[in-house]
Amino acid sequence: MSQFLVKEGVKNQIRKGEKLVTTHCCYCGMQCGMHIRVNEKTNKVVGVEPRYDWVLTRGKMCPKGVTAYQTVDHPDRIKRPLIKKNGQFVESSWDEALDLIENKYKELQRNYGKDSLSVYGGVSMTNEKCYLVGKYARVALGTRYLDYNGRYCMSSAAGGFNKTLGMDRGSTLPWTELEHTDCFFMAGSNTAECHPTSIQWFWKAKDKGAKIIVADPRETATARVADVHLDLLPGTDSALANGIMHLLIKHDYVDNEYVQERCNNFGELKEMTAKFTPEYTSKITGISVEKIVKAAHIFGKSPRSVVMFARGAEQQTAGVDNVSLYTSMALLRGQIGKFASGVATFTGQGNGQGGREHGQKSDLLPGYRKLTDPKAVEYISGVWGIKPEEMPKPGVSAYEMFDLMKNKTIRGLHVICSNPVVSSPNINHVYEALRELDFLVVSDFFLSETAELADVVLPATTWAEDEGTTTNIEGRVIHIRKVVEPIGESKPDWEIMSLIAERMGKGKHFQYREPREIFNELRLASKGGKADYYGVTYEKIDEQDGVFWPAPTEDHPGSPSVFKEKFATEDGKANLAVCDWKGPAEVKSTEYPIWLTTGRVVFHYLSGNQTRRVGFLKEQCPEPFVEMHPELASQYQVINGEKVKLTTPRGDMIVPVKITKAIRKDVVFVPYHWGKELAVNQLTSPALDPISRMPEFKVCPVKLEKLAK
Amino acid sequence: MNKIMYLEFERCIGCRACQAACRECGDHDAKERNYVEYVDFTESRQTFPMLCMQCKDPACARVCPANAIQITEEGVVLSAMEEKCIGCRNCTFGCPFGIPKFDFEKNKMYKCDMCYDRTRDDIPPMCASVCPSEAIRFIDFDEMQQLRRRRTQMNLVEGKKPQEGNKWDYVPEFFGVYTDSQ
Ligand code: SF4
Ligand code: SF4
Ligand code: SF4
Repeated sequence: MSQFLVKEGVKNQIRKGEKLVTTHCCYCGMQCGMHIRVNEKTNKVVGVEPRYDWVLTRGKMCPKGVTAYQTVDHPDRIKRPLIKKNGQFVESSWDEALDLIENKYKELQRNYGKDSLSVYGGVSMTNEKCYLVGKYARVALGTRYLDYNGRYCMSSAAGGFNKTLGMDRGSTLPWTELEHTDCFFMAGSNTAECHPTSIQWFWKAKDKGAKIIVADPRETATARVADVHLDLLPGTDSALANGIMHLLIKHDYVDNEYVQERCNNFGELKEMTAKFTPEYTSKITGISVEKIVKAAHIFGKSPRSVVMFARGAEQQTAGVDNVSLYTSMALLRGQIGKFASGVATFTGQGNGQGGREHGQKSDLLPGYRKLTDPKAVEYISGVWGIKPEEMPKPGVSAYEMFDLMKNKTIRGLHVICSNPVVSSPNINHVYEALRELDFLVVSDFFLSETAELADVVLPATTWAEDEGTTTNIEGRVIHIRKVVEPIGESKPDWEIMSLIAERMGKGKHFQYREPREIFNELRLASKGGKADYYGVTYEKIDEQDGVFWPAPTEDHPGSPSVFKEKFATEDGKANLAVCDWKGPAEVKSTEYPIWLTTGRVVFHYLSGNQTRRVGFLKEQCPEPFVEMHPELASQYQVINGEKVKLTTPRGDMIVPVKITKAIRKDVVFVPYHWGKELAVNQLTSPALDPISRMPEFKVCPVKLEKLAK
Repeated sequence: MNKIMYLEFERCIGCRACQAACRECGDHDAKERNYVEYVDFTESRQTFPMLCMQCKDPACARVCPANAIQITEEGVVLSAMEEKCIGCRNCTFGCPFGIPKFDFEKNKMYKCDMCYDRTRDDIPPMCASVCPSEAIRFIDFDEMQQLRRRRTQMNLVEGKKPQEGNKWDYVPEFFGVYTDSQ
């Protein structure tokens, strides 16, 4: 189970009485390599040791990674199933908890049909588990209502990539090539805080003279050193991308040969971008004309460039448009499919990439197959051992599931690896929806805000108590090792799902003794699909420092770079995006005169259910704050540290002010890692992107009030 | 050990992984000994790390009336010895860089020891190992010199030339903290 791997010549500290287990961080998509220190006598996790020879991260970690091990033996761990009796959680046996779940599930389905149950998954867990969530919902429960927290994370990137390139691999190139890139165009990514260890590659490239262009309403650590900081208004990315493309065309920076051979829609794109003169673009985005022009020239002149974006551009009602347009910038320059150039999104969650490929999404099946495609349904039904007619139809997206709970279409919910009452937009609505449920089951290892509402809480394991694979930010499938046995009576999610399946009479479809068997089934299920894992094995991962998908055959080494010859669209050509700027769903008014945007801080991960419990991280950032420009603060006569009230039509919150010039004067920023009265998601907008169904977390107008003495 | 702790302030992204990691070092008692500060948060997000200079003639050790601060043969200035430290806090006032910390519960000073339990075996200290931006590096003397030259070269490549009054802008900003016995 445990293995300590290092390349020759690499020294690590191994203390007396301890052993190291080689694995990766549990948090963000960087999936930094690390060794976990285990006391050989007590078999307890005691610390961390850098993994200097992991190819992507070279021993580097952010403070979340350094302290990740502290969640394993944490005093807050849930060690036995909890059943709510008279409003209080009471510890119970697994049998009692499973009995209750079985009875309730069966009763609900008997009275209200199969689709009265639903499953809400997450992607901060292994491919094996993510894959099984889809199978659990569709085979064990037989419900169509299944979606996952990746809807709030990667869905717009997925939508944009599928539309333009025909396939959604988060990065078209391996990130170890980034040091050779001449220019980075980064939009809506605070990568220094959200993916800190990626910085080594950007700084390395910068040491060699690479240019950096950053589009962000805030002067982030990357924007601070950028050659151009495009300080755009939230919600104006499509105007900016169109504006840059206008200039690329005007100044002859287009790689005509590439575009002619490999792309569709150039004529239409030219027409669409015609009106996006620097002046027009500047009016919409709030960026000065000079900066836009300077950025276009730097980007246009760079022989090797990578266009990158993250939630800032994606969590908008125009998220898919933004991704398609930014991707098109790379296409116009003929960059995709070449060395040290291309396009990439920053995957937020540890397995945000793998977790979205294998059928946790309401309309997808493993291998990125579509649930609406009869052939795909037939193939997967075969792998799962069910009849194609038994396969449930597509359901609805994450946020829309809550509407169905409110109107009682959905009556039972199983939340696995997620905390939607913190991470959803407009959470007051989400709370109301969950209160309407007849039965809520939550699997987690800490009592999250969502778990507090549950009827049954099932104790899951942390990442260190189970083996499996994840797929990192690059599309590289990597190996997570089991470090210790599950704590208390906790069980890995795959085992929990299998146990419930058993109770629902579907046990024969869930006969797994270890994750490797699930992975082998996943390999088969993904075979021939776009995200083809058939050629990925645990052994190959260890041998060659991970395997990039697609890897269609057993002797295939994997595909570090994609789209070298053709794109994954039907005609093999990329579809350049022809999209106008639409503007965010909500507009400013005299009542709500400031823009609110949200994001992360380096010390916390997602809903904070894990990181808010870790000493060092909590000390560094114990509560949310609202970041604002001194000019705005002066207009409201508030000082640093003073508490103010923020209000949108959906809710309000009181937060202390943090004053800095490193943000636009008309925008305020609040990090989202806290729940209840500290949650900025009480305020955020649930308006959805029409294609990806991604909510517009990043843009909404807000009212700011000084509190009366 | 003839390695250098090389600090490049402007690389720092303020993640404080170096501090989280400092707590993980064997003899560190889960307390960090290094610092990360904002230059001025109102103006910018720029932060910088700070750690012990491992002075050749350490003020902290000099002003210690109890001789509690030992210097290893490699030149690493250690934390005060538990049995010797009398808790007078002279060292915290003596150090010109504000490095030594004071544990009021144990009435004892503690400070950066360059992760001596690692570095004595030539394994990089925790902060330099994890620092994502390479603002802190643990490198050879030669590599440091090369890095310094390269900084200047980069400016020249960009066509800038030192002029009256700005020559200092061309001098690499760095701090080499090193030990020199071999
Ligand atoms: S959170 Fe991300 S960057 Fe930080 S250590 Fe973990 S994987 Fe690395
Ligand atoms: S780890 Fe490096 S980048 Fe992070 S705060 Fe410390 S010196 Fe700065
Ligand atoms: S603590 Fe201060 S005086 Fe002592 S060696 Fe370090 S920098 Fe020098």
